[in-house]
This record gives sequence, C-alpha cells and structure tokens, in this order.
Amino acid sequence: MKYAHLILAAAVVIVASALRFPRLEDRPMHTDESVQALKFQGLLEHGQYRYDPDEYHGPVLSYATRVAAWLGGVRTLAEATEATLRCVPAVFGVGLVGLAWGWRGLLGRGAACWAGLLTALSPALVYYSRYYIHEMLLVFWSGLFLMAGWRYARSPHWGWAALGGAGLGLMHSTKETFVLQLGAAAVATGVLWGRRWRRRGIPWPAGARGWHAGLMLGVAAAVSAVFFTSFFAHGAGLWDSIRTYGPWLTRAEGDSPHVHPWHFYLGLLAWTHRGGGPVWSELLILGLAVAGGAWAWRRRGEDSPAGAVGRWLSVYAVVLTAVYSVIPYKTPWCMLGFLHAYILLAGLGAAGLLGAVRAMPSRVAAAAAILVACGQLGVQAAHGSFGYAADPRNPYVYAHTSPNLLHLVRRMENLARAHPLGRSMVVKVIAAGGDYWPLPWYLRWFERVGWYSAPPEDPRASAVIASPRWAPELEGRGMTNLVAAGHFGLRPAVFLQLRVEPDLWSAYMASPREPED
Amino acid sequence: MDMRVKTWNWRVAMAVAVLASAGLAARGAGAKEMAPLEIMLPIPAFMGTPVDIPIDEHVEKPSDKPRPPFMAPKGVANVALNKKVTSSDKSPVSGALDLVTDGDKESTDSSFVELHRRTQWVQIDLDAPHEIYAILIWHAHHTPQIYYDVVVQISDDPDFTQNVKTVYNNDYDNSSGLGIGTDKEYFENYEGRLIDAKGAKGRYVRMYSRGSTFSALNRYTEVEVFALPAK
Repeated sequence: MKYAHLILAAAVVIVASALRFPRLEDRPMHTDESVQALKFQGLLEHGQYRYDPDEYHGPVLSYATRVAAWLGGVRTLAEATEATLRCVPAVFGVGLVGLAWGWRGLLGRGAACWAGLLTALSPALVYYSRYYIHEMLLVFWSGLFLMAGWRYARSPHWGWAALGGAGLGLMHSTKETFVLQLGAAAVATGVLWGRRWRRRGIPWPAGARGWHAGLMLGVAAAVSAVFFTSFFAHGAGLWDSIRTYGPWLTRAEGDSPHVHPWHFYLGLLAWTHRGGGPVWSELLILGLAVAGGAWAWRRRGEDSPAGAVGRWLSVYAVVLTAVYSVIPYKTPWCMLGFLHAYILLAGLGAAGLLGAVRAMPSRVAAAAAILVACGQLGVQAAHGSFGYAADPRNPYVYAHTSPNLLHLVRRMENLARAHPLGRSMVVKVIAAGGDYWPLPWYLRWFERVGWYSAPPEDPRASAVIASPRWAPELEGRGMTNLVAAGHFGLRPAVFLQLRVEPDLWSAYMASPREPED
Repeated sequence: MDMRVKTWNWRVAMAVAVLASAGLAARGAGAKEMAPLEIMLPIPAFMGTPVDIPIDEHVEKPSDKPRPPFMAPKGVANVALNKKVTSSDKSPVSGALDLVTDGDKESTDSSFVELHRRTQWVQIDLDAPHEIYAILIWHAHHTPQIYYDVVVQISDDPDFTQNVKTVYNNDYDNSSGLGIGTDKEYFENYEGRLIDAKGAKGRYVRMYSRGSTFSALNRYTEVEVFALPAK
C-alpha cells in the first residue's frame, strides 16, 4: 500500500496519454494552428526566430516544437505532420497531469490524485492538449509557478525559488496573457492575507531569505531574455515583449470578431447539447470545486496546509474567471487557466467528501460514484478527441476549419498526380482578406503557389482556388476557359471554389484517384 | 426601349412559358387533371441567401423567392409517410432511420438520422408500385451547404440491380461511381429539394449522397414521395 498512490498516479498518466496522443492527424488544422506552423518553419528550416509583438504570441511554442522535430528527425515543414506539431501541447497536457502529483504536499495525496484524474479526463483540457496553440503550455508553466511558489511558502528552499522563477519566465515567454494569471495570484494573496499583514507584518516562513526572491526574479528574467532575444540573436525582442501589450489590449477591448458575453466560459463548462450530438458538461468539476472551496473555508481557524491552499485557490480561480469573463475578447481555450484552478480545488473537494464519510463501505461506494462520474468526463473527452474532433456540436470546436477542406486538399493532390509537372504546377489562391488559412499548411508540398487577397493582374494558373466573390473579376481577366472543379467549405458558410485548366480536368477524370473524402 | 413594352414582353413570355409547361406536364401525366402539389414546409432555420457562395456550371443559384407551384395529377399524396426505411449504413452516427419518413422536417436536434461518411444511401419501401411524380428531400437545412453526389433512383427491385431509373444525379465528377450526372448541385434550405420524377413507376426509392460542404457525414431529415398507386 506504500506505493498505492504512486501506482494510481502512473495509471492516470497512462489514461491521459491515451486520450491525448492517438490520431493527432485526424482533425483539420485550425487557422491559428496553421499560422503557428508557418511561424515555426523559419526556426525549423533556417534556425531563425524573431518574436513578433503583433502576432503569434511568445517564442516557447516554436522552440518546444524544434525539440519535438529534432527528436522525430524532421528537418523541413514538408516533412512535418500534424502529429509533429500537436505532440508538443499533448506532452504538456500529460505533464500537467503529472504536475498534480507535485501538489500532494500541499493538498494531500488523495486530493492530488483526484486532481490528476480530473486533469487527465477534463474534455476541455484533453481537447486543447491536441491543439497546436500556446494555451496548454501556459497552463503548465502557470501550474508549475504556483506549485513552486506554494512549496516555497511551506518549506523555503532556493530550489523552489529557482523553479518558480523558471515557471514565471516561461509563462512570460509563452503568451502575453500570463499577466492575468499573475494578477489573479496577487489579488488572491492580497485578499487573504493583506489585512493580517498590515496588522502584524508579513509572516515570512522560517528559512526564507531575501536573496531567494532575487534568485526567482533573476531566473525569470534570464529565461525571458533567452527566449525573447532568440538566444541572444535578436536584442530588440526584449523591448518587443513589453511593446506587445498595445495591440493585444486593443483586441481585449473588443475590436475583434471574438467578442462574447460575460457568461461565455461558464456556459461552455456547464452544459452544451447541440444538434443531436452528445451532452458536454464539466459540472462535475465545478461541483467538486465548490465542495473543495467550502471544505477549505470551513477550516479557516485551523492550521491546515490544504485549507490555506484551498482558500487561496478558490479566490484565485474566481478572480481569474471574473477577469476573463469581463474581457470582451473570448476564445474557449482562454478558460483553461481558471479551469485548471477549479480542477485542483475539485481534487480537494473529492478528497474532502470522502474524508467526511466515516464508514469504510460507504467511503468505497462514494469513491466508486465519483469514479463513475469521472468516467463520463472521459467519454466526453474521447468524443472530443476522436468522433467529434471537428464537429461544431463539440463546444470546443471554435471557428474551426471544415473537414470538407481536406476534400479540396486531396483533390489538389489528385490533380497534381494528373499534371505533367506534378506538384510544380502553378496554383493561385485568391481569398478575400487573405482568408485562405490553413491552406498554406496543406499546400506546403506544392512548389509554385501564389497567395492573394484580391485577383492578381494575371490570374492564369493550372489551378485557381478562390473566394466565390472573385468569380466575376476572374472571368473578366480571361479566366472563362477554366473548368469548375469543385466547391468546398473552409468554415461554416465560408466557401472556396476550385477551377482548373480543361486539359488538367480531363486528365484528372481519366486517371485513377485516391479517395478525396 | 420603352419600359411598358419591356414589361408587356416579359408578361407574354411568362404566360407562354406557364402554358407550355402546363401543357407538357399534362401530356407527361397522360392528360390527367393537374393541381399544384400541396407541400407543408418547415420553419426556416436561417434567413436569406448567403452572399459569398459558389455559383458555377455545376451549382444552381439559390433563389430568394418561394419555389413556384409544382403541378401534379390530382390525388397525388405523400406515400412515403411512416414507410419502412433501409440504408447502406447499418449503424447511423445519430438518430434512427424511421426519422426519414416520420413527417418531421424541422431543423431540430431530434429530427434527422446521420449516416457515416463517403457515399451512403437511404431507401424507402412504398409497399407497392407507384407512379411517382415528385420526391422532396431535406438533407440538412440548419446552415447553407451543398450536398455532394445527390443521386435518386426508383426501382421495383429492392437491391436496385434491375429496372433502375435514375431521376436525379448531380455527381459531375463520378466520385460515387454511379455515372456522371448532369443535374445541378444546390444549396440546402427549408424548402427541401423537389425532384420531378415524371411519373416513373416503382416500389422503392433510393437516395444517395456523399457528405456536404459542411460535414463529411450524410444527414437525412425527411423524404417525401408524392405518388399515385400504379395501375
């Protein structure tokens, strides 16, 4: 029984991996994923990375992907697959499960195990662990920073300070929104202990040293400097990491198509049932988190480490939820930060509920009931990862590329097979406002592709992929000889038309084809 | 040109077209007495015609006007209501096959059956041979989309190996392997797709499709078959 919790934790990590790593190529690339992939191309193929304060977020995602590509022997973007990219957030998603074990000295072993299980099975965390964006990395570094900070508060040691500093620097180097996590942490700390500190002064834990704080800040600054300067090759990156908040604040104020009401995140977590698909709900996590918060606040007078951490987490989670809910700009993955805090609280809630049951048979029955309830989270997560990975009935599928776009991609492959020049045939992609993503990722094997926001002077090509609105202009520029070769959904109610040279269409129709859908 | 002359010309042309089509329809129906087909439409799930949609030689331009009345012999009724439905997909992704003929054509969560990807079909057994005048199909009308490879066949053979009449085929690239079709693709909407079966005789009606611009899956909300018992 000595290693029971460890065995349980290992089993949870295995479950988490089974939900995160298989079939990473299945879901079509989201626009944001493909933009990050193309950003990574410079680092992969030329060893160059420049932080851009206007777009793309922080450098850590690209550098972490460089490691994954090196491990996989991938040297060019053409050799990379969706799995090469998506395995990076998947690793951090599993890492977050493992990180729950680091909270065992703060929340208790039982609570840490439950938190790990809920992290492994949470549909939102699973879904975005398979998504090539920064969010899962940010949640992991935030979790590391908070855990190290609390471990230091409980048992001061320069190692925890350095680890916390590394977490902080990596948060900064991952995504600009790390300041919200940092702000919520400061508010939670101030709310819980500010009054007491004013009366009695800050009760530094025994063993805490001033240089520990310096070490933490120094490590954080060093980590940030390394990444934002592209390993000291681009000094302006440091200033850019501060300048970036200008454009991002504009977006946060609502100058964006991603403006949603304040209850957007809570609604997603609570209940979604669309179009005959499965029900999606993380109410179990929210319910257990409420129980965990209540358990912690009832121990206010006691010297209980788990109670103190629980109270702090409850304030942190509520403040972070409120901040993200107030900001008009919302995308579903932004809620992962506070969802993770709710999961830690939920672990405390599950352990607290079981602790309140005295009789062993009843306790076993209660544990089994929570496990069964966790099972339905796992079923949702499996739906999200596999059957409903790109289905709009899945609430985490947001502004997503239609699977129908892969039909276009495969048709382009078949056309290239039928063309004497193969993938060297001339392709022009003309989409209003440059709304052709993620096609640059999918057409990366084609050697002569032109990308346009409006019809070029000479639109002639073997294949033209265009927004329907450009059809009259293209016909006016001598494109009447091309054959309509299909229309495809880019996203719901957004279409692209394919036109090809008549000889190419005849060759395509006459040649054997790979299935396109 | 004088605007009044222009209007007059247009009216004459319309009158000639209506008379000609009514005459042709009457001839095709064996000089039966004709009447507009009564069709109960569901509530539109989206309003208006999308602006930036593909229109080319394979795709019909959506109309922002109601569908003109379809003339059919008097007495024609929906003989598919509550009739047995079979399918190429033995275990649909969601819903049950009987939803195809249950009379519910609303765009709601519980009104459709969803079949797996690639070419799939649903087939309705009308219990007896019929003279079929119109087939109305609602795949999915919750969002603008085009269904691929819509092929509609009528036969007396439940296996569709003999006496198969194809009354609609818009598979212009023959991706479903049923032959190249010359009918137009179209945008789904609440009016459904009305296919003129021209009095073709048969007991079984089979509808093929191969996903849509929205989803690789094949959704069927309702199918109505307007027919008279065959003599």
